[in-house]
Amino acid sequence: MSYYLGLAQLIGIHTLLGLSAYVLMLTGQLSLGQAGFFAIGAYCAGILTVIFELHIVPALLIAALLAAFFAFLVGFPALRVKGLMLVVATIAFGEFVRLFFFNLSWRVPRDGIHVGPDSTNGFREIRYFVANGWSAWEITLFVWTFVLLVMAALWWTDRSRAGAVLRAVGEDELAAQSVGLSLTTVKVTAMTAGGFIAGVGGALYAHTATYVDHLTFTVLLATFAISYPILGGLSSVFGTLVAVIFIQGVLVEGLRFMGDWRSIVFGLLIVVAMNLKPSGLFDARTARLLRRAVGLRGGEKSRA
Amino acid sequence: MSDFWFEFVEITQTIGDGLFFGATYALIGIGFTLIFGAMGKLNMTYAAASLAGAYAGLAAFAFVDAPAPVVFLISALASGVLGFVAYLTCFRFIPINNHLAALMASIGGLFFIDEMVVHATDGSPLTFPALFDDVMFDVGPYGVRGDLLFVLAMCVAGTLALLYVLYRTRLGLATRAVSQQDVAAQLCGIDVHRTNATTFVLAGLLGGIAGAMTASAVGVLSPLITVPLTVKGLIVTVIGGLGSIPGAIAAGLLVGGFENFFLYFRGVNERDMYVLLLLFIFLVFRPQGIFGSGADRD
Amino acid sequence: MLELSGLSKHFGGVKAVDELDLTVNEGEIVGLIGPNGSGKSTTINLICGVFGETAGTVRFRGELMNGKPPHQRLRAGLARTFQNIRLFPNLTVWQNLWVAQNSPQDVSARGFLPRWFGATRRTRREIADLLDLADLGHKDDELASNLAFGEQRRLEFARAAATRPRLLLLDEPAAGMNQQEIADLSRRIHRVRDSGVTILLVEHVMELVMGVTEQIAVLNFGRKIAFGTPGEVQRDKAVQEAYLGASDPGDGSA
Repeated sequence: MSYYLGLAQLIGIHTLLGLSAYVLMLTGQLSLGQAGFFAIGAYCAGILTVIFELHIVPALLIAALLAAFFAFLVGFPALRVKGLMLVVATIAFGEFVRLFFFNLSWRVPRDGIHVGPDSTNGFREIRYFVANGWSAWEITLFVWTFVLLVMAALWWTDRSRAGAVLRAVGEDELAAQSVGLSLTTVKVTAMTAGGFIAGVGGALYAHTATYVDHLTFTVLLATFAISYPILGGLSSVFGTLVAVIFIQGVLVEGLRFMGDWRSIVFGLLIVVAMNLKPSGLFDARTARLLRRAVGLRGGEKSRA
Repeated sequence: MSDFWFEFVEITQTIGDGLFFGATYALIGIGFTLIFGAMGKLNMTYAAASLAGAYAGLAAFAFVDAPAPVVFLISALASGVLGFVAYLTCFRFIPINNHLAALMASIGGLFFIDEMVVHATDGSPLTFPALFDDVMFDVGPYGVRGDLLFVLAMCVAGTLALLYVLYRTRLGLATRAVSQQDVAAQLCGIDVHRTNATTFVLAGLLGGIAGAMTASAVGVLSPLITVPLTVKGLIVTVIGGLGSIPGAIAAGLLVGGFENFFLYFRGVNERDMYVLLLLFIFLVFRPQGIFGSGADRD
Repeated sequence: MLELSGLSKHFGGVKAVDELDLTVNEGEIVGLIGPNGSGKSTTINLICGVFGETAGTVRFRGELMNGKPPHQRLRAGLARTFQNIRLFPNLTVWQNLWVAQNSPQDVSARGFLPRWFGATRRTRREIADLLDLADLGHKDDELASNLAFGEQRRLEFARAAATRPRLLLLDEPAAGMNQQEIADLSRRIHRVRDSGVTILLVEHVMELVMGVTEQIAVLNFGRKIAFGTPGEVQRDKAVQEAYLGASDPGDGSA
């Protein structure tokens, strides 16, 4: 059972990671730096609960706000460039964050041992859940509370004018400007929201894993982040969730028997998928077909 | 005073070595820029394929004890083949306007190649042969490593060969025609797919040289350097200006010197952070790069 | 209301727009015509801030517009349509219009509420009016990409009107339209003008231009070669030459 709960937590956290990229992609931007915001959330929340001994909820919110703040800062220079240049800029940002934590050493004594980020050795003592006696069920519920909150917020936004504005910028920048939308405002807002969501995901990740090091937050993780909305399509948040369940649940877990060869399959799968369905596996048309096939409750089902 | 002098020599020596080594970054940057110029797309497999080419050369070294020049040649050829494969799998059949899908596919290719190498070698670093690594020239207070000089010479030769092909042959004319106006080029009877494939092979050959030279200068080949080399190649491409070959050369040397400067002062763990900062400085103050004009292109 | 003085745009050696002076008064419908490549579209793009000008000034309601990005010019009251229709294809008709309403009360916290709560009664009424103007009342939930060509043109016109402009720049709105559609369009233009919007019309289709405009400026090789009422312009020698391509129009050559 605990295995499946662990998997559920992982799926929840990766959904947050995917949604952080989804928000940006609505405005037509592709970021390969989401692993960086995820890392900021993870390390910051870990430091807050371990070194400052904060409760998990404020720690998580502060970490997410910090990640959002950095996303805001990165937003301005990164948005001076677009398209592929933005991809390069965000890869560089993600790598910068990873190297920063690779070099970060902040050890303080607590209960007779030293705790905190220990540069290359990683950050090993994020034991908030264990120390406070949370059961695996409670942790899973906690993770999914945030996942559902974020999904609901995005689903809600998509029905508002703000959501239409995000998509308008993603569809045609010149037309968006000529109806009076400020590209910088819209894009930086999306970037900040994406940073916040990734930060929440990272904070939850650090506490469920109890251990993080810089090797977690590589370009590979950033690639996972964007492959979820690309596979799931941009028609709704549920696409991202379905893609995460598909990749993390079916592929990564289902191919466990392949051992180390799984990661090769991941690379190959992206190549094949992009050749067969360049606009995403669950693009608008497929999504509509699926919805019709399973009736209107399709979205509800995938959430269960 | 003499302390200061000693330190000054030490620093300039380090930067000089960096400039030499930067020639390999320049080659990787040229490869990215060449493909960007031709198709307006980033081939993310490029650095991984270059290193995989070097691994193919290394296999020849390990199994039949091939001499170093043969190793280098096989590296280049293998990487050229990988370039062609990358074109077929990640670009050829994906709609030309779908930049996102091509980018994703080539990122998938990057991880695929990387993982293949990790599996073939168990992820452990292997020794790579070098030429002239026992030669040392003295120039005043400085020493010039023979192997680095050879790396530089090979990179220069590779670049010159590329420029010759681009500007002196019919093939190069077609490549440049496609990169400037692909529809018009098509109307003139140029086969765009074939020309693009040629560009990928050319870039691949160059990348194989770069991969072999990188490994040869460092002395070992390890899959751990795939992503850093990709990132550095991209940084060089952006700093040089997307699509600009002279820019990639200048930026490659700049990055090489810059990173050794910080290697000297801040150590190997922090070195790359400063290279990334250099990129951000360019993005803020000169997003079009040193020689570029293509900052607005998607 | 709109004052262009000495406005120039050079692309390399080509003078796309050359020292153009033009004044549009409030409440007028002014036409801007000229042969292909005479700089009409460039002029629109300069007025809207898509391109930076090489020289000269754009003043709108007395305010200098030079250097301002397109969205700020729009907020000052300058709206436009595009020669090749640019809608938001995967938004619904209703959303296309909703996004174009950009006054502070539209962008307030209510902007984060779904349509049922987020759109004020005023917003709804205005959008209903615009749908009526564009004759798209029955298609408000349709994706813009599913509309027919003519419907897309009407939607784009309504979207520009939705920004509550003071001056509306129409870039070849009649391209590809039949007689009936042109008649509808000129009715629509008059209706918008009567609601207090000034209109600058760039057009090829003479039927529309001669029918709706009160003043016409004629461009050739980036220069203004004539200005006057439709009748005056039609009789103008330089204009006839420019259109018939008989000879070089005096000093207008580049």
